Amino acid sequence: MKSFNRRKLITASAMLAVTAMTVAAVPANAFSPKSEVGVTSKEIKLGVTLPMTGAASPGYNKVPAAMKAYFDYVNANGGVNGRKITLVVKDDQYVPTQAVAKTNELILKDKVFALVSPLGTANNKAVAASVNPGKRGVPVLFVNTGFSGFADSKKYPTTYALLPSYVMEAKIMAEYIKDNFAGKSIGLVYQDDDFGSDALAGFKSAGIKFATTVGYASGSQSASTAAGWVTKLKAANCDVVILFGVSSATAAGLGTAAALKYAPQWILGSVGGDATTIKASGVPAGVLYNAVGASFLPATTDTSDEYVALFQSIYSKAVPGSAFDNNVLVGMNSAFVTVQAIQAAGKNPTRKSLLAAIDSKGSTFASAALIPLNYSKTSHVGYNGYWFGKYSPTGDLKPDGGKYTVYTTDSGSGAVVKSTYKRPAMPAKGLPN
Amino acid sequence: MRKSSKKHSTQLSNKVRLLIFIVLGFLIYLLSNNVDELRVYQGAQVAFYVVGIASIILLTGYSGQVSLGQGALLGVGGYAAALSHLNWKLPIPLTFAVAILAAAGAGALLGIAAARLSGPYLAGATLALAVGLPSIANQFTALGGEQGLFFDVGFPPESLGEEFTQYKWFFWIASLATLIAIFWLQNVMRSRYGRTWKAIRGSEVAAELAGVNIARAKVLAFTLSAGLAGLAGALLAMTIGTVSPSAFPLALSFSLLTGAVLSGVTTLGGVMIGAVTLVALPEIVGTIVNRAGASEAVATNLPHIVMGTLLILTVVFVPNGPVEQMRSRRVKKEKSL
Repeated sequence: MKSFNRRKLITASAMLAVTAMTVAAVPANAFSPKSEVGVTSKEIKLGVTLPMTGAASPGYNKVPAAMKAYFDYVNANGGVNGRKITLVVKDDQYVPTQAVAKTNELILKDKVFALVSPLGTANNKAVAASVNPGKRGVPVLFVNTGFSGFADSKKYPTTYALLPSYVMEAKIMAEYIKDNFAGKSIGLVYQDDDFGSDALAGFKSAGIKFATTVGYASGSQSASTAAGWVTKLKAANCDVVILFGVSSATAAGLGTAAALKYAPQWILGSVGGDATTIKASGVPAGVLYNAVGASFLPATTDTSDEYVALFQSIYSKAVPGSAFDNNVLVGMNSAFVTVQAIQAAGKNPTRKSLLAAIDSKGSTFASAALIPLNYSKTSHVGYNGYWFGKYSPTGDLKPDGGKYTVYTTDSGSGAVVKSTYKRPAMPAKGLPN
Repeated sequence: MRKSSKKHSTQLSNKVRLLIFIVLGFLIYLLSNNVDELRVYQGAQVAFYVVGIASIILLTGYSGQVSLGQGALLGVGGYAAALSHLNWKLPIPLTFAVAILAAAGAGALLGIAAARLSGPYLAGATLALAVGLPSIANQFTALGGEQGLFFDVGFPPESLGEEFTQYKWFFWIASLATLIAIFWLQNVMRSRYGRTWKAIRGSEVAAELAGVNIARAKVLAFTLSAGLAGLAGALLAMTIGTVSPSAFPLALSFSLLTGAVLSGVTTLGGVMIGAVTLVALPEIVGTIVNRAGASEAVATNLPHIVMGTLLILTVVFVPNGPVEQMRSRRVKKEKSL
């Protein structure tokens, strides 16, 4: 009997010892809430795909350095809840196959917490179809495209738009034309695809009548095809010509028209009105002079704007010698909004809490834009408006009369209204808390 | 006369070859169960590159014609698969068949023109095709414009279990299609047609004197090569879930050519080398660059530079590819014995 008890005691203590050892061997965090992919106690890892090389890269290839410049600024000031933000950059050459391959690397190998500012409509569509971040629960913050479809939170549950859509842009542009060029004959050059058809839909709903329209196939734009556009526009006696295309088309159109001494009042879409890209196409920025352009961020030369002043000083220290243009401003602003989203996601952010934070608090995030953010439980729409201005001889867009007049609208049939939005003051030192 | 034993060492019997392919398939199956999701995705990529490179080897290596526009034929296949799936709701294996037929049809038309061209003229014509064809999609709304169309082959069957990922499913489909395509291509190469093409590549005049109808043989090579390219295009479309003009850029045609040169353009044996290099090299270089902490400009441009250097080295030192080089060295050794 005694021996049996002793055996029982030995067995019990052995079991106890094994249990204790097992418990000791299990990492401590097994008992705290499971940490999220891409988040450690010291770091939050984000990823971006965009064209860093190839024909589509000029201009866009400045975005990652701009984003990193702001993240590094935040990191140097204590990071987000003590965690440093790192950005993994992958070059997709503007090819959907590459975008899918690189996004897979980001999610499956680099194990990023979220994707930030992935660029291009076709690329984002392919990524949504193949990688399916929605199903994996991976947040896709602030896609860098104006295609209105990405704001559809049913189809793309983890994707958030940031830029105003092309439809919004066309509707607001129409309003500007009615106010400033009533009675003039108007011509339109557009890209003959979804980008252009979004614009056509916007102009149509605003009731703009064109003297002539010129559609060009994506990729066909060159000095020689642009000569054809100019002939057509000249023949229709257009006083005002809207160039609603990509930068290379804007460059070809303006460059060729200048060579042919054709000088209507130009109005440029926001996608194509970037001086850096136009210069990279071999056309001097001077051709932009006096053209009308649109933006949702303050003018990049407006150093009286507190965001522009701060971002400029951060960028010039991080990337000395590189011009501070709209690509840089867009990149830094996206990074700025991203930091707030992560902050709002709580002390130990998870992918779920990040998405919930944008839904519930996204509309109150500070940003450099002169237009409010429109995030809510039912809306993944970011900015919804534009202001108009004219280009200086050096290709910088400046607001009419030195004052930003902002119009907002939606991608549907909603009216264009003059915005009364007053941007709240920037958080101290540009560090959201 | 008795067949020499040497012939046996290079030419396997059909039964043995079939057995090798089945074993290969089984090995791929085992592999797919033992690697993570990223690797099975890359495996699917390797598969469509293998078929695409094989289509160039058939055309250039065997029939002596040059195509700089293979990417456009991949595009025809990809769009045919996506359209037939969207509009006619065809099951996936049939969409692949449609892709092959559509691209082969386009290839036959191109081949008829190509048979009258040669050298730089043919290269120029196919190059124009690669530049021009994808933008056609922008002209017709049925083709989805710049945004493209979806091509969704659907989720893996539930019987495979919940853990079975979408990419593993893609990998299985792509591997099976590739094994069948390569087996078929080997058969064609060993047939009368294969020998005819080799004769033409050796000397057109000699082949013609021997009674070969050069034009017909060339058109046939172009058609079959295009059919393979169409299959590659459908597999590519499957792995990215969409087709769009930008998925079939000029760079794709050049990548496939690069892969074919790295593989050795005169033999099918090395086709894996080029395909694996195309998929793995950018990632390997990227990892090294990241570890070394190089600047962004270096990190983004180095993969292109390394690929270019590799291409030049291949052309200079192993112009017919590593596999052919080893074979010829072995033959030389046997002769000298």
